[in-house]
Amino acid sequence: MSKSDVVVIGNGFAGLMSALVSADQGKKVTLLSYGAGTFPLNSGVIDVLGYDDSGKAVANPAQAVSAVADEHPYKKIGIQALEESVKFFQDVVAAEGFPYVGSLNEQQWLVTGVGTLKPSCLIPESMQGSKCFEASEIVLVGIKGLKDYYVDMVAENLAKELGNDKKYTVVTVDPHYQGARDLTTKDVAAWMDTEAGYADFVSQVKGNAGAGKVILVPQILGLKGNVVYKKIVAELGCPVVETTAMPPSVNGLRLRDVLLSALKKKGITVIEKAKAEEAVIEGSKAVAIKAGGEVRLQTYNADKFIVATGGFYSGGITMRDFGEAKEVVFGLPVECDCFEERWVNKQLFSDKKQTFAKTGVRVDATLRGVDESGNVVLENVYVVGRNLSGYDFCFEHSGNGVALASAYKAAKA
Amino acid sequence: MELEERARDSADNCIACTSCVAVCPVTKANPDYRGPKLVGPAHNRMHFSDENDYEDSLKLCSNCKNCDITCPNGVSVATLNMLERAKYYKAHPEKHTQADQMLSHNFQMADMLKSIPFGRTCANIGMSIGEAMGMMGAMGIAPQRKSPRFATKYFREMYKEIKQPEGLTKEVLFFPGCFIDTNDPEVGVAFVKVMNANGYKVLMDDRFKCCGSPLVVGGYLDEARSHADNNVAIINEYAAKNIPVIACCTSCSLMLKAEYTELFAQEEMAQAAKNVYDAFEFLTILAEKGELKKVHVSSDKKFIYHAPCHLRAQGMGMPAVDLLKEIGVNIDSADAGCCGMSGSYGFHKENYETSMKIGSELFDKINASGAHKVVCDCGTCREQIKHGTNAKTTHPIQVLAKAYEQ
Ligand SMILES: Cc1cc2nc3c(=O)[nH]c(=O)nc-3n(C[C@H](O)[C@H](O)[C@H](O)COP(=O)(O)OP(=O)(O)OC[C@H]3O[C@@H](n4cnc5c(N)ncnc54)[C@H](O)[C@@H]3O)c2cc1C
Ligand code: SF4
Ligand code: SF4
Repeated sequence: MSKSDVVVIGNGFAGLMSALVSADQGKKVTLLSYGAGTFPLNSGVIDVLGYDDSGKAVANPAQAVSAVADEHPYKKIGIQALEESVKFFQDVVAAEGFPYVGSLNEQQWLVTGVGTLKPSCLIPESMQGSKCFEASEIVLVGIKGLKDYYVDMVAENLAKELGNDKKYTVVTVDPHYQGARDLTTKDVAAWMDTEAGYADFVSQVKGNAGAGKVILVPQILGLKGNVVYKKIVAELGCPVVETTAMPPSVNGLRLRDVLLSALKKKGITVIEKAKAEEAVIEGSKAVAIKAGGEVRLQTYNADKFIVATGGFYSGGITMRDFGEAKEVVFGLPVECDCFEERWVNKQLFSDKKQTFAKTGVRVDATLRGVDESGNVVLENVYVVGRNLSGYDFCFEHSGNGVALASAYKAAKA
Repeated sequence: MELEERARDSADNCIACTSCVAVCPVTKANPDYRGPKLVGPAHNRMHFSDENDYEDSLKLCSNCKNCDITCPNGVSVATLNMLERAKYYKAHPEKHTQADQMLSHNFQMADMLKSIPFGRTCANIGMSIGEAMGMMGAMGIAPQRKSPRFATKYFREMYKEIKQPEGLTKEVLFFPGCFIDTNDPEVGVAFVKVMNANGYKVLMDDRFKCCGSPLVVGGYLDEARSHADNNVAIINEYAAKNIPVIACCTSCSLMLKAEYTELFAQEEMAQAAKNVYDAFEFLTILAEKGELKKVHVSSDKKFIYHAPCHLRAQGMGMPAVDLLKEIGVNIDSADAGCCGMSGSYGFHKENYETSMKIGSELFDKINASGAHKVVCDCGTCREQIKHGTNAKTTHPIQVLAKAYEQ
């Protein structure tokens, strides 16, 4: 394979965005992918910062990002790159016909699959839970046979969140499903993509739609961007809101498909099932990656490398023993409080960050790995996303935000 | 010798993330299929060898390997399914249908017909009559399909008549595979032309048997094992002479490179795999060494490429597209997922609807592309594409051979 300007390793949100921003800079990009990334698991919404260090809910992400600790990736990335990355992302998805609403100056609200409310920063039009705030009646749609969606529980919890001065009505739609296995939101979304399925659904819900109401549905409004969403809002004449979902998450898959489509338009080469195994280093630079394939590794040469391999969760960092954490492909220095007694905070849902979650590659403000004295290890290797040290995405709700901003900064460097 | 690392143990790496379920084309098209996660890894771990404890929908898996491509944890999901299926048929041999028997053993039919004068012509006429009279359905074969016709001369016969240039010092051994050998021998002819033009003499070895892919899918694992042992011994013989083995069919090459070892975990198989190359993988290596014959195509005829799932599962991208682009061919990948055929899968009557549903995205893209031909490395994918679209199809090696002729 001929040489690329940039090789991106990893195909989660950070990897895809790194590839897109690099290609936008006119670079020839090859992306090495392995597995599906976190897309089928997360709801495809971009949290930037949901909770600050003390666990307090963040109202204005831009402000809160400016106040993070020095070790935090946002500090190194800087607010300007974050702002530009948000604009870049919103432009990309809008050009693909799948716009995301939101800004860094306020939070958006999601209704979760159990009926609670959750903040996020950038979300697709179909998930704007705030539309429920003004409504006088919420019509909650359940789907007969749908796994893991208990509409009565959603109604009960939502009433606790939004108060009892609203009316909560439950409608159950029968998708006339005849299959032998459990029905998932993905199956229902595929049904909604068919003309017959869509018409059937609308006919069962239409009687309950109307002014002042909001229709709340599980994540079923089709698999293709916001096509079904736009159609159904126009047809029902009132807002329709999707909740977040259990895996496989329909909106995560939508976002992945939309980004892959953008990658294709930019002429980015994606190599599937190409697990990066070895780096070829010359002096202080990487010159190639060996990856893949059945039987023999293929060599991918480039001038610049972006490591988006997802940290512990996705195999970018491993640890055989305490104190021996390492970044797998380049052996970049990993920063962690690697002592058994401090490794986990056993109260899983406590108000403290998890030590293991903050483990990651130690980088400087250019997002290149640095040794303990702060010297750059490999001049042309950049680290992004869940590979970075110093934050607990789960605790603070910043996963895709850090992924986006770091990808942007590394690709622009 | 048994290898320590076995595909069946990879079930323990499953973290139940459901990524495989999200991409499995059969799961999407057929609500009776419970999906890879449950059928493969979960069942494999939970299955405590009661011979009646089988997952019913296991027979619906097509072995297309999209689950393997998507799994973040290296679980050999499809192979787990195939091993489980083999166990089932071992306990219940009476459940094998006539269609299973025929579709898994096409190579026997092909050999038999060759031994009868006009056998192939008669068989082809017989197929036309059979299709016209609706007999295929009665045998469990999708009546909507036209079965691939036998070539009146197989590649192994044509090969003997090809005069390769004198004085070629480098050699490769061709693994034609059943489809190219008995249905589409022109692909083999094109391969010889390309290799000759690059200074390689092409050898054939008549001891090779069908790679065994259709046997595995049909649940005839013991037979597949005997094919594997036979082929692996030959490949290793040539490895000792530094002669690489090359296949143009991506299902054959996946079988030889990866699936033998996954299924049977033998050291000789892992050894043999190192000596096997897909044709365009090999040509790309030549190109990287600056040894590939230079040629430039100036025609702007538009081609669309379909990447076989069994190529994607090999983790090396799309070497044919890269190489053809490099020499100036106007070609673009359809990126439309699985074609739905999966070897013999789509020929089964009960899989026909699923198969066509899966292929519909690809068919739409091809129809909308305005391309002059569809390029694809896999013979049965090409059959499916012709059936679903009326487009003309070709193997990439034929495109390259044509470019060399100019
Ligand atoms: C269940 C769950 C729910 C979440 N929900 C949200 C949410 O609602 N909002 C939010 O903002 N964030 C959420 N997050 C966090 C967010 O998903 C991640 O923080 C972010 O997407 C990380 O992106 P990434 O690209 O760095 O890593 P990943 O998405 O993990 O991608 C890494 C990729 O690299 C591949 N890879 C690894 N090693 C190699 C190699 N050697 N060669 C090639 N490829 C390799 C992996 O297979 C993987 O595909 C959630 C996370 C989880 C687990
Ligand atoms: S091999 Fe194909 S059909 Fe079988 S489970 Fe995997 S993705 Fe599904
Ligand atoms: S993708 Fe892999 S890890 Fe995830 S459920 Fe399927 S087999 Fe298990």
